[in-house]
Order: sequence, then C-alpha cells, then structure tokens
Amino acid sequence: MEPAARLDHNHQLTIKDFPYIIKWRDDRCKRCGRCTAVCPMFSIEPSVVVQRTVVSEGPTPEPRTIRRIVTVIKQSTDINRYCTGCGTCTLVCPNDAIEPQYNPQHKFLFHKNRGGHPYRRGGRRNDPTPSTLDRLKFTRISMLTDPALDAGRHEFRIRTYLGRILPAEELPIKVVDGRVEVDTSTGKFIPPVREIYPVMIGSMSIGALSPNMWEGLAMGITYLNEVEGMPVVMCSGEGGMPPRLLKSRFIKYFILQIASGYFGWDEIVRAIPHMVEDPCAIEIKYGQGAKPGDGGLLMAHKVLKLIAEIRGVPMGVDLPSPPTHQTKYSIEESVAKMIQSMSMAWGFRVPVYPKISGTRTARAVLNNLVRNPYAAALSIDGEDGGTGAAYNVSMDKMGHPIASNIRECYLDLVKQGRQNEIPLIAAGGVGKTGNLAANAAALFMLGASAVSIGKYIMQAAAGCFGDEYNRCNVCNLGRCPRGITTQDPRLYRRLDPDKVAERVVEVFKSIDVELRKIFAPMGRSTELPIGMSDGLSADDPAVAERLQISYAC
Amino acid sequence: MKKVVLRGNRDGKRIPSRIFEEEIQEAVRQGARELHIIADGQHGIGGRIWPRDEKVRIVVEGPVGQRLGSMGMFGTEIIVKGSASDDVGWLNCGAKITVLGDVTNGAHNAAAQGILYVQGSGGARCDTMTKHNPKFDPPQSWYFRDVGDTFAEFKAGGVAVVCGVNPRNPKNILGYRPCVGMVGGVIYFRGEIEGYSETDVKLLDLTDQDWQWLTENMKPYLEAIERTEYYDELTSDRKAWRKLIPYTAQERAQRRPFKMSIQDFRAKIWETGVGEGGIFAEYITHPRTILPYVTTGQDRRFRPVWNNYKYSPPCEYACPTGIPTYRRTQLIRAGKLHEAIELVLQYSPLPATVCGEICPNLCMEACTRGQIDEPVNIKALGKAALEVKAPEIKEKTGKTVAVIGGGPAGLSVAWQLALKGHTVDLYEAENRLGGKLEFCIPRERLPQEVLKREIARFEEIGVKIHLGKRIDKDSFQEIYESHDIVVVACGAQRPRRLNVPGAEDMVTAYDFLKGINLGQSPDLKDKKVVIIGAGNVGMDVAAQAYHCGAKEVVAVDIQKPAAFGKELEIAQSLGTKVMWPKFTERYSKEERRIYFTDGSSLEADLVVVAIGDMPMTEFLPASVHTDKNGWIEADEVGHTSDPKVYAIGDATRLGLVTHAIGHGRKAAEAIHALLTGRSYYRPQPKPMVPYEKIKTAYYDVCRDKAFKPEKEANRCMSCGVCRDCHMCEMTCYYGAISRTEYEDGSYVYEVDDSLCIGCGFCAGVCPCGVWEMEENK
Repeated sequence: MEPAARLDHNHQLTIKDFPYIIKWRDDRCKRCGRCTAVCPMFSIEPSVVVQRTVVSEGPTPEPRTIRRIVTVIKQSTDINRYCTGCGTCTLVCPNDAIEPQYNPQHKFLFHKNRGGHPYRRGGRRNDPTPSTLDRLKFTRISMLTDPALDAGRHEFRIRTYLGRILPAEELPIKVVDGRVEVDTSTGKFIPPVREIYPVMIGSMSIGALSPNMWEGLAMGITYLNEVEGMPVVMCSGEGGMPPRLLKSRFIKYFILQIASGYFGWDEIVRAIPHMVEDPCAIEIKYGQGAKPGDGGLLMAHKVLKLIAEIRGVPMGVDLPSPPTHQTKYSIEESVAKMIQSMSMAWGFRVPVYPKISGTRTARAVLNNLVRNPYAAALSIDGEDGGTGAAYNVSMDKMGHPIASNIRECYLDLVKQGRQNEIPLIAAGGVGKTGNLAANAAALFMLGASAVSIGKYIMQAAAGCFGDEYNRCNVCNLGRCPRGITTQDPRLYRRLDPDKVAERVVEVFKSIDVELRKIFAPMGRSTELPIGMSDGLSADDPAVAERLQISYAC
Repeated sequence: MKKVVLRGNRDGKRIPSRIFEEEIQEAVRQGARELHIIADGQHGIGGRIWPRDEKVRIVVEGPVGQRLGSMGMFGTEIIVKGSASDDVGWLNCGAKITVLGDVTNGAHNAAAQGILYVQGSGGARCDTMTKHNPKFDPPQSWYFRDVGDTFAEFKAGGVAVVCGVNPRNPKNILGYRPCVGMVGGVIYFRGEIEGYSETDVKLLDLTDQDWQWLTENMKPYLEAIERTEYYDELTSDRKAWRKLIPYTAQERAQRRPFKMSIQDFRAKIWETGVGEGGIFAEYITHPRTILPYVTTGQDRRFRPVWNNYKYSPPCEYACPTGIPTYRRTQLIRAGKLHEAIELVLQYSPLPATVCGEICPNLCMEACTRGQIDEPVNIKALGKAALEVKAPEIKEKTGKTVAVIGGGPAGLSVAWQLALKGHTVDLYEAENRLGGKLEFCIPRERLPQEVLKREIARFEEIGVKIHLGKRIDKDSFQEIYESHDIVVVACGAQRPRRLNVPGAEDMVTAYDFLKGINLGQSPDLKDKKVVIIGAGNVGMDVAAQAYHCGAKEVVAVDIQKPAAFGKELEIAQSLGTKVMWPKFTERYSKEERRIYFTDGSSLEADLVVVAIGDMPMTEFLPASVHTDKNGWIEADEVGHTSDPKVYAIGDATRLGLVTHAIGHGRKAAEAIHALLTGRSYYRPQPKPMVPYEKIKTAYYDVCRDKAFKPEKEANRCMSCGVCRDCHMCEMTCYYGAISRTEYEDGSYVYEVDDSLCIGCGFCAGVCPCGVWEMEENK
C-alpha cells in the first residue's frame, strides 16, 4: 500500500459526477462567507489555491516566478456533501457571484448508496416531464351555446361536499304541514356532510413541517374561512395536533389524520371532551402516493420538546410509522373497523374517510367503501405526491398516476349509479408545474369531488426550493434551507408564519379566480363540474382513450 | 324644415327593419329634419343619422324595437312617446334620446356620447360599458324612477342619474350588485340601495360641484320628460343624494388585496381563538422573531473553534516512539535551534542511532510535506542530535527500578526513569549494551561509532549498569525484592526453529548476525545461501551473507515477504532473490540442497532461519503471565499480571526498534506516575490531523535538497499546530478574529461571536488545519 501522503485522487468522485455544479465567479466574489455560512449540505467551503506564473519581463529570458495564494469557494466531492442545487448560496450572495447549475450528465444515483444505505430523500418523484394532468385542456367553450358567464362579473359557487350523500329516495324525510322535516322515527343514519372548498391542503404533519410552517398554513386557512368566507380545510397529517387548536373553534377547519403510527392520538382523544367544535373530518391514512409501501420515520434528533409533547412521546426517540397498520389484515376489515372507531369517537357526527395511494386496485377499495354506510369519501393519492422522507426507489418508481386512477374509480361509481354519493378526493401532483387551478379543474371533470395539495402550497406559500430535477429535496435531513421541514429553530425561524398565511390566502383567492376563468366559458357557475368529462380533451389519443375523453390536436 | 311621417306598418304589413332603415335614411337625405315615426318594432330606429351640423328631430310612437337610437349622432334628437325596448341608445355617439316611459334591459349600453332621458325606470344591465371620449362631453343617462340589476357594470365613463322617484323597489333603487367592474364616470342617485361592488366603487356624498351640476342639469331633464313639478322635490335636499364613483387606477394599485391584514388577523382572530403566541407557544422557548439567513452569535449553525494541538501531526502520530517533530521545527522557526535538536532526547536516548540510521522513519512516510516534494528530513534531525549532551537529571526520588535487558527497550525505559530522578539498575546479560542494535544490525546500516557515542551518553545519566548479568529465577527474585519496580526488557533472543528434517543443520539469523557483529564472520566465498523468512531480518542476513563472500543468496517465505525499506533495498541491490510461497520440506546438508513442499529445491551451502525470535522468560515468576506462544502478556504501557513487573519491547511482541523505545517511554510514564503516587490515566491517543485539513497550496516545491535545520523548519507545514501566521485574522471579512498574547509569550486566536457568521473562512484558509467548525449547540 502506498503511504497515505502519496495518494491523491484515488476513489474520489469528480465534480462532473454530481447533479449540481457550483458556478462561482472569482471576479465578483468579495469573500464575505455568506454562501458558505448558509449552505445546508456544506457542499461549498472556503479553501485556498495557489496560482503560480512564471513571467519574463526583460528583453531576454529572465524568468521570475509569481505565486499568489487566493481564497476560493470550493465544491466538495464528498457524496454526503453533494450540492442539492437549492440555491441558498445564490439567495444570500450580495454580488451574484455563485449559483448551482444542473448537470444532466451526473452519476449521482450510482454513488449515493454509501455504507450500503440506499438513497433516501424528501421531495417528489424526480420526473420533470409533463404529467397527464398537464396534457389535458378545456375544449368545450360554451360562450354562446350556454348562458354566457363572465368570471369577473358573475357570482360563482365553488364548493364541494365531503361526506356521504344519501340518494333522495333513501333520505328519512317526511312532509309536515307542507314543510320537509327529518323523520327521526325511522332511526336511519344520516351521514354527516361538510360543504368545503374543493381544493384543500393535504396531510403534512407537525414534525414533517416546522412549527412556523404548520402554523402559517393553519392561520392561512383559518383566515380564508373567517375573513374571506372560503371554507378551505386542511389535513393535520399524522403527528398530533396542538391542544390549543383542538380546543379552539377553528378545529372545524381541520381534518385530523390517523395513520399507522397513531402518534398524538391519545392526546387528541383526551381532548375530545374539551372540544367546542367537531373537526371537519377524519382521514385514515393507508398509503401515500409518493411512496407506496414505504413508511415514515421521524428521526430521534427531530423529536424535540414540541414534537414530543404533541405526539405524546418522550423526547429523542425514533418515531416510526410503518407502511401498514399493525392490526389490520385486509382492506375490508381495516376499513370497516377503522371507520367505525373513528366515527364513534365523535358520535358519528364527523365524516371519516380513508386515504390510499394511487393503485390499480383502488376500485376494489372503492367498491368496498360504497357498501359501507359510514364511509364518507375516498382519497386517492397519486404518484406525483410529495413526502418528507422516503427511499428514492419508492418515490421514483412506485405508485400510480392520479388521472386514470380517479377516472376509473369515478366511472365505476357511474356504472353503479352512485357517483353523487361518495366523493372522491384526488391528490398527488396537483399543480405539479404550477397549473393548480387547471389541474384541479381537470380532476373535477374526470370525477374528483375535491383535490388535495401539498407541494404546491409549500412552493407557493413558503418558497420551497424543491423540484423534479432533485433540487433541494432534503426534507428528510432536517436542514431545510427555507425553514419548512426542519425542527431546528435556527432554520425554521427564517420562515415567518404570517407571511406563509398571507401567501396561503393569496393562493386560494387567485385559484378561485382561475377556477372561474375555467368554469365560466364552460358555462358552469353553480355546481362543481364533477365528471363533466365532455369539457376535456387530451393532446394524446392514448390518454384520451384511457380517460374516455376526446382527443384534440 | 321638412317634416315627414314614416309608418312601420303599411296596410297591415310590417316593414322589415332593413327596409325601414333605408326609408329613414333616404328621408333625411332628401332633407327631412322632422321625422314622425310610427314604429312596429323595427330595430335601431333613429340611429346612424348624419345630419351634417343640422338638427334632426325624430318622434317615435308605437312599439319600439331594440336598440332605438343606437349609434346615434350629434344633432339627432329622439323622443319616444312611450316605453322603449332593450339597448336604447346602444353605442350612442351623441344623440339626445328621451323616452317618455320605461326602458328595458341594457339601456345606453356602450354609450360614448349623447344623452338618455328616461321618464320611467330602467331594466337590467343599464348604463353598462359606457365610456367617455375626452374629445367630447361624457354621455349622460337619467332615470326618473329606478334601475334594474347589475347596473353600470364596467362603466368606464359618463354620468348616470337615478332620481329614485316612486321606485319599484324602494329598498334598492340601483338593483342587485351595481357597478361591477366600473372604472370611470359617476352615478348620482337618490334613495336606498342594497350594496354595490365595493371592490370597484366607493359611496360618497355630493360635493358642491356635483350639486351644482345636478341642479343645473335637472331642469332640462325634467322639462324633457315633462316632470318639471318634481324639480323642487329633487333639488331641495342635497343629503338625499349620494354618488358612486370608481376607485382610481392609482387607488386600486395601492389597495391591499386583504380585507384584514394578517397581523390584525393574528391579533384579533387567531390568537383570540387559540391563545396568545399561537398554537405552539407553550412548547417554544426561543423568541418568536424571525431570523435572517445569515446570523451571528447563538443563532449561527456553526461556530469556529481554534483547535490548536487538538490533533496529532502525522510525524508524531506515525512515530512509535512518539517524537513530536513539529515541536522541533517550531523551535527552529523561533530561532531556538539548539533546544530543537536537544528536544528529542526527552523522547529517546538513541536519536542518532534510530531516527538517524536504522529507523524506517514512519514519521517521514506520513509527513504531509511529502505531498509537495520530500518529507521533512527528520532522519537528519535525528542525526544532528548525536553531539548533544545528556539532559539534566531531575532531583532524586529515592525510588528504585530494575531494568532487565540493555537493548533499545531497556535503554529507553532506564533513560526516562533516570532522567526523572529514579534510581535505576540495568542488568544486561552480554558484556555490552545495545541489544540487537549492537549484535544483530549490520554495521553497514548502523555505523558502530554512532551507537557507541549514544551509549556513552546514556552512561552519563547515572544508571547503574550491570553487564554480563544473566538473570535467573533466583536473581530475579532478589531484584524483585530489592526494587520498587522491575521492568523486563529482555528482548527476544531465542530464535524460532523449523520442525523439519535437517533443521539442526540450519543456522539461526540471530546467531549469524550476532557472530558477524562480534567479529566472527563466516567465510561464505562462492557459497550459496538460502534464507528462510524474507522479513527485514532475513534481508539483513542476506546483505551480511554477501559481505561474507556468498555467491548467491535466496530468501524464501511462505507468504508475501514482509521486508521493506532500507533493509530490502540493500539486500536486493546486492542481488538477493526473493521467492514465495515456499514451504520447506527438508534440508540435506550432504546434498547441499533444500527441498520445498512444491517439489522444487535449491542449492544451499548454508541455510539461515530468519522466522523470528522468542523471548527467554524462564527466569520470570509465575505471577508474570506469558501467552501460549511465550510472549509476556503486557499492555501498551507495559503492565503485566504482576503489578510490580512491567514488560516492554520484543519480550512482549516483535517490532521495530522505535516500537521498543516507544514502549519503554510509555512504560516509564506509567511507572513514574505509580512511583510518585499519582494515578495513571492512560492518555487518549490524539487522532491524527486529517491530511485534507492541511492547506498544501501555501507551500512551493523546494528545489534545494541540502539539509539545513532552518530550511527543514520552514518546509514543515505545522500540521494541526498554529504557526501564528495571522491568515485567519486577515481573511475574516467581519473582523471577528483577534489574537491575544500572554505574558509568557503564549497566544490564542479568539472569535468575537457577535461578529462571526460561521462562514468557515478561517477554517478554510488555515494552513495548519487548526481552525475547525463545530455545531453551535
């Protein structure tokens, strides 16, 4: 073996192997160190290099050496300190001297398994190609064939129902003195139903999100309800709820999630007698579109006082949420007993529905739910959803796109004549490329009663850096440079919850306008165009055929 | 003033709008300036008249069609005797239209100039999209009673007046949601309303100018609609009138899109609902203020630490003796050359012999400088210590230590303990000190003169040397009882032998080498020598064999030979062949041939076995354990199973001379601690400074190969040890680093946490790798 002092680049990676290459401009840099102080991955570090030149100035060769040692910003070739391309360096640089640049020839996945640990990360499916949703357009322009609607002038009622809708003939009602009243003598169960805004914020837990981010979102949707009169709701994610919120009247704007870890639920159950309002609904998580078959793990170092108290666990322990519920043996059994228990918790006054990851077997689950009188909805989470931590393989290669999944489920309901009875909630990549309203509207027209968003709101409300080129995507490390997915106060205090709330309000107000801009020319203003698939076309005949919509080119 | 009467229905037959329009146009062309039209629902009556600066007066009776007076021009005056249908005055370009009845939906839609007087009320969507062309007066629309829903949508100019007399809905004279999208003009109205588009327009009282305009223009209006008797009622109470005007573009641009600021929402709604400080307040101890990305003090993620001496430099770390060469170069750089050369004697009694001659100098192999040109010449520094006098001896402690064995380990431990003031008895079986250095190392590798002089220096420090004293069980017991501590450094002199036929005819390396060093060289002229065992001892044997005249020397080994360094170099340069793997089967002295298990054989006049030596430990009491192979069980500081007995050097395991010296030094530390009544805490070995922390960029390739201590000191990169160059202090953009010097000449570099942002530039530029970034907990 060679003495260590004589080895140089043996087994080192080259910068060209890395997904992002730091472009640093010596001529602009003033060496203030702001970039290196903020780099979440320590990918860049100050270092020194020598510049040696031999000059000869006289009329004859009179060589003279000039050595200059200069301070430089160097990119690490340590795979564990890879540049994620987040661009926080660019953000803080006063001189525009530094910027990560995407390197399409990178060999990252060949190397990011050191120690035999497969690559784990946060974020999304790293596929920047347009999703099916982005290939759909609204081609049925009804400006003159239907009453002309003006998105700016007319009033629109953009609402949906969360809960089981009984068909008219099954409603236990009677007419008394010419008025319709509920006939209590039948003893028939009338399922709880909520009227909500059809775009909701999907499940992101306290723990996955920083307190500032979570509270910002919570404030934003509460503002929309209280000030703007928009009934936007938000799902808690698994990880408990702060008692202050549970016991407040705002809890009615929140969907509580229960997942396989059941974290925080003892705290929630104990809070029930003190609750002044029922929650909007209960979501039972069976799967996550971003990572089917992969569970969750909140690392011990993230389980600080706040998380520990809210989740009802000691500090500094790993908190695993396995990919499956431990006492459930079949979807039938699981759904039946979980829905029963959770309905019972609030005296059958709260809608309870399961959430599954997008799958070819979603229809089986749905058909089961159709026969369950307590099932309030089915939420299907497609492959383009986000996650705080998962194996790369689960994220990139597991899952089902939402478009055809929601479509086949809806058409199944149509076959049974039940399409207006059990709402389908679509999630996973809604607004993936920024077209939130268009993606949402397309999903409604394919058959969804509502959509859930996660990554979109993180990007829009808190400036999340992540993208499908694997930019940033280190939510799992607790080093989120934006302060969105970290429990480190030094990082999450970068994020102002008030600003997050403000952006949430702006986002929902603007998608409300955009939804009208879509619905108005199509002649819809009063009811959500659920299943109005004649309004849609695809730019690909195969997609059109699969979704049973028209093809337009 | 030509008057004509035109009938829209002749002989019970309705004239189509297209024909009727042509008839009206033709009549005007023919000079008609007063037209009496008895209409039958024709479209667009009275519009599109170009009177060319004259006046055309049109009185319309009968059922009026849609868009009466549409595209009407200045000079056109239309009076409708009764109600009018939809879109009266559509796109009015100047006509004055009086309707003595109601107007239905869309009256004056898109009007740009002209006047609409309505005696009754308006339908839905009246006054929508009206505008004001600055070249002309704005259009006016007057409604006597009230107007229908969605009034004045997208109104971009013009004046609308709604008098509110006898309205159909007294609660709301402007209908449902008026003024959506209104951006220009004004609406004067009198009476109650139920809301308007608050994002577009504002509700105000009339100003003096408004009132003056209204009262002045009210009179001709009332005259036109034949309601002059209402003048007083309509102009008596200014307070009864209000106006709606749009927000200006500037006002709209300034308007926040929020009904309530988030800050207000937090204070008035959110925290009222969930408690002060928000939903997480009870779990959060930090301030709720927002932090910038670049922070100082406690809020930094990382902070720099001046970790001077935290790491062991490679030279020290790699040296089994533990000689801190970096200290020597430091002293030289400080102008203390003599102290620097002397320093090594604190670590080894034999620097010139070992460092300077026979040691493979692991320190130099590890030296970071080797990455640039050549390692710091530590060998030469060792050689330079030959002439240095023995250090001062500390005050006598009165404690006694016996050292058994005068080889490198024994000399080392005796040296250290004697320097510390203990009384040391050194027992050596032979008649000379030096052990294997004296007896086994070929003189060619170690000039005898060097060893002699260092032994002589050793003898100066007062160790009682007992030569020719071979220890047996009894004498050991005696020594054991008469001394506080016994150190066994007896080395390994019992050569291991092979258990094969002919082994008795083989010579051991120990005997072979010792014989030569004692002057009893065998004559190997033209002989073939086979050495079993191709380690460094085997190489020494090979070299000596050649010196004794051997014709050919082959060293065989059962595995990849372990020889390295100078021994291997010398042996190979003399022609030694190395073969492996070779397992010896037998040696036949008669045949002069050695046979191997693979069927091969070699000629061999002499076979030397160099497969290692074992200690001779028969003299030890049972209390000192040996392992099953015969080595004394001892740890890295020499502790054996007998607390009073230490064992070091080759007696515990085979190693380099420097290992033996290091073992002796460490044992001396432990023994000294014991003898002075301190407990001995085994010092945690410092980790070696990672090479990548040393910034080689600062150093240029040195082309001058000659040895000068000063030059070597400057070539030394001071790995892990501050060289006081001020790079960090200069580089820190924020001036957060300062240097403080104490009276004793020592110094520290310190960080002002209130200035430091934790950027790591100090660590990045530190030539020595002293600055490190630590998590700021």
